Amino acid sequence: MNLLQRIKNKVRARSIHVAYVDVGSCNGCDIEVLACLAPRYDIEQYGIYVHNNPREADVLLVIGAYTPGWEEKLGMVWEKIPDPKVAVAIGNCPISGCLFNRRESFVDAPVKKHIPIAAEVPGCPPRPTEILEAILSVRDSVFANWEESHP
Amino acid sequence: MGLSLIWYLREFARREWIKKFLFAKTAPLVTPSHFRGFPEPTGKTCQHALFCMMVCPAPGAIEVLHDGDRWMPRIHKGHCIRCGLCVEACPNGVLKSGRILETMGREGTSLLFSFRIAIDLELCTGCGNCCTACPVNKGIDAQMGAGGHSSNDDVIMRVQKGDIVVIHEDKCTGCKTCEVSCPTGAIRIARILEGYQQPVHEGLQ
Ligand code: SF4
Ligand code: SF4
Ligand code: SF4
Ligand code: SF4
Repeated sequence: MNLLQRIKNKVRARSIHVAYVDVGSCNGCDIEVLACLAPRYDIEQYGIYVHNNPREADVLLVIGAYTPGWEEKLGMVWEKIPDPKVAVAIGNCPISGCLFNRRESFVDAPVKKHIPIAAEVPGCPPRPTEILEAILSVRDSVFANWEESHP
Repeated sequence: MGLSLIWYLREFARREWIKKFLFAKTAPLVTPSHFRGFPEPTGKTCQHALFCMMVCPAPGAIEVLHDGDRWMPRIHKGHCIRCGLCVEACPNGVLKSGRILETMGREGTSLLFSFRIAIDLELCTGCGNCCTACPVNKGIDAQMGAGGHSSNDDVIMRVQKGDIVVIHEDKCTGCKTCEVSCPTGAIRIARILEGYQQPVHEGLQ
């Protein structure tokens, strides 16, 4: 790995853009993602910027248990994100459907059936620290050696 | 102009400022130990009362599995919502989470389970499937055969003269095995959960 690539890896890992999408949740997890932006957790000090535009995003936070209304739409959002990209499942809902995944309910969890998920954060809702840790855990691998692995 | 330039240079040369500029300002926050996490075993022996599974509100969050030579509840992350009800419901204190057990001990609170057996005699055919399927009955009267007849008065229920009779409702453990084995859906088990608090006397605290 040459020096330029190493610098690129370092810098890019500190400049992550995040978009989030709620595919049918109770809003509990949305509030915790919001809390990450607040001064107490201050997600921006790590160079992570949440501005919710898929075309600029590197990390997609998926929240919610995947209701039928999202059947065509989540794939579209995922397609719009330029490579390299990862999706992180926030909360129990995208992992298992949480309390909504009962007989005769319409949710179609887990979300990893529909788009690839790189990391999962269990909890209902997960704590902001846990969400932060998950984003920080994927940020080094998203861009790492991107030019070399995709010539 | 000159002065303010020097002031800025001095400011930027401060170690504190450089540290803040290069590294994160807030140290990653640690989760305090009193936060409710996923329930963990305390090391006490699970008696297979299954109250944890009965009280758990999240589908698929907890299972009591036979692990080697003993029973042990297993929590499934991604399903568990960390409500802590299983910790409260366990009569043997097998699980712990945050400071739930300490609070329960201090305030004298507990969750009590009781079970009611309701049989719709219109639907019941007196086949006795429920009596033979019941694991508690099996333990009390191993001789009970098909038909659900028993000469033992200690069984939960038995068939007498073609009719089902519930004798010891209090021995029911709420497993609902009888419900599944009934061909007509005549037997229903109600699980009743009560919160209980021992009266706290002034001066005793
Ligand atoms: S995991 Fe829990 S808090 Fe999060 S959206 Fe689902 S139900 Fe709500
Ligand atoms: S903490 Fe709540 S959701 Fe988790 S296993 Fe126990 S009862 Fe179920
Ligand atoms: S619930 Fe279980 S213990 Fe109670 S009567 Fe039915 S089979 Fe027996
Ligand atoms: S299994 Fe059902 S029909 Fe048969 S004796 Fe029991 S309650 Fe009645």
